[in-house]
Amino acid sequence: MTAIKTQKMTKVYNGVTVVNGIDLKVEKGEIFGFLGRNGAGKSTFINMLTGIAKPTSGSFTLLGGDSKTTDVKRRTGVMPDYSTFYGSTTALEHLRFFASLSGKPASKSVCMEALEAVGLAEHANKKAGKFSFGMKKKLGVAQAIIHDPDLLFLDEPTSGMDAESGIQIQRLIRSLHEKGKTIFLTSHNLDEVEKLCTRIAIMKEGRIVKIGTMDELRAFYRTNIIVKIRHSPIPVSEAPKLHQWLESKGADVQFSDERTIITVDGDKKIAEITRAFTACKTDIYRVEVEEPTLEEIFLD
Amino acid sequence: MVAICKREFFQLLKGVKAILIILLFLVTAYYSAKFAEPLAAIVEISTKDASVVGLMFLILCFGQLFVTSLSHDSINREIHERTMRFLVTKTSRPSILYGKFFGIWLFWFVSLFISFLIISIITKQINILIFTQTMSLLTLQVAFVLCLSVLISKPSVTMFLGIIGSIIFPILGGWLVLTTNPAISWLKYVTPYYYFDKSEYTFVVVLVLAGLLVYLANLVFKRREC
Repeated sequence: MTAIKTQKMTKVYNGVTVVNGIDLKVEKGEIFGFLGRNGAGKSTFINMLTGIAKPTSGSFTLLGGDSKTTDVKRRTGVMPDYSTFYGSTTALEHLRFFASLSGKPASKSVCMEALEAVGLAEHANKKAGKFSFGMKKKLGVAQAIIHDPDLLFLDEPTSGMDAESGIQIQRLIRSLHEKGKTIFLTSHNLDEVEKLCTRIAIMKEGRIVKIGTMDELRAFYRTNIIVKIRHSPIPVSEAPKLHQWLESKGADVQFSDERTIITVDGDKKIAEITRAFTACKTDIYRVEVEEPTLEEIFLD
Repeated sequence: MVAICKREFFQLLKGVKAILIILLFLVTAYYSAKFAEPLAAIVEISTKDASVVGLMFLILCFGQLFVTSLSHDSINREIHERTMRFLVTKTSRPSILYGKFFGIWLFWFVSLFISFLIISIITKQINILIFTQTMSLLTLQVAFVLCLSVLISKPSVTMFLGIIGSIIFPILGGWLVLTTNPAISWLKYVTPYYYFDKSEYTFVVVLVLAGLLVYLANLVFKRREC
């Protein structure tokens, strides 16, 4: 089942196209990561999907229905990018209000569970006006999950949080995923996206420039694989032949007695190289492959 | 809608400004009732009408100011501070607007009801017509303030325009009711003050005007970015 489906979603502000005809499908049960530099249009895209902003053109459905209907809203949880809370209202009161607003009134114990999940239980009766930025972020996550939604939009859920809180939220996201929730998140933390997301889209200047699983993205960008091989000394009789062959197969070849480094453009060549070493009576002890990280893909 | 209505109502009740206004209502109601008989003798009206004339005068002259001071930023403050984002992602925009409207309306209904109750206890008379007339005026004032809060994005501007409107409307409304100039006197039909001159139920027109304002506010709010 498709959780999010957009068709030619476009947003224009004062003649500037911020989101440019995005077609996207997110299946139920995915953790979908949305990456992009500041101003790429990520938050505008989320804002359109969640009803905060209206698309200039294009259409979309959430959980197979119209996002404006009460049923879909009740099954959707949203943590907007930058939001303040009611300064004179406590964390617990916020959750009770938001839960009843979502049509699923929550008891005190349910609210406390949500606060516990984000690490705010001890501040349940503290007014939000006294919260730090990180605490507001946590409350933002808690209010998004308080009505047990099927689809969750999290706009930079861990930014501004300390490392420990960030890990706690990542664990929470994983546990929600295990319960079958669909999660659509944006983050500037590439490591977090790489660890959490089942699929990733990279957005640039209002368009999705690349989309796929981490492996698919890596394969696409894997034109320069650096292979480091630790091996036994190459027999003198075989060395010139092997060196010549390796230079024909890859680039930037560096030889030493027990170590060879070579840059190749595909996985198959790694297998060919290991076979060549064996054929030249050289034992291979270790093969290290340096793959492109999400950061390298992102910055490409 | 109910959750927003409840929150708006209780948030209004908690405010210092609201408590002061309720106290003013209650004091006016008490003294209106207490001096109803001497007043009735002076201005030649029934004791029943004289008992509520003070409260009605207060709302006719200052009602708009009271409503503005408490609720001028009911919508735009939430948009400005981005708390509206939590609301629009959880419920429909009409629910938010109607919830706000009924929450504010309920606050004024309760305030006025208690005031009339005090008058009724003292004078042992109930004036339903004037109560409903006054409540219809407050309904229009609430609708106007809510509409202003949707149309204008800055809370400081709604406060300024609200106060200007609160001063001008009673004066302009009174003048339109009294003027004999045929070129502009027709405008009296769109002011609530005209309908208070009559001891009948034509004030329903005021409720229709309020309905139109809320409808307009809803049209604009549905298109608003939050």
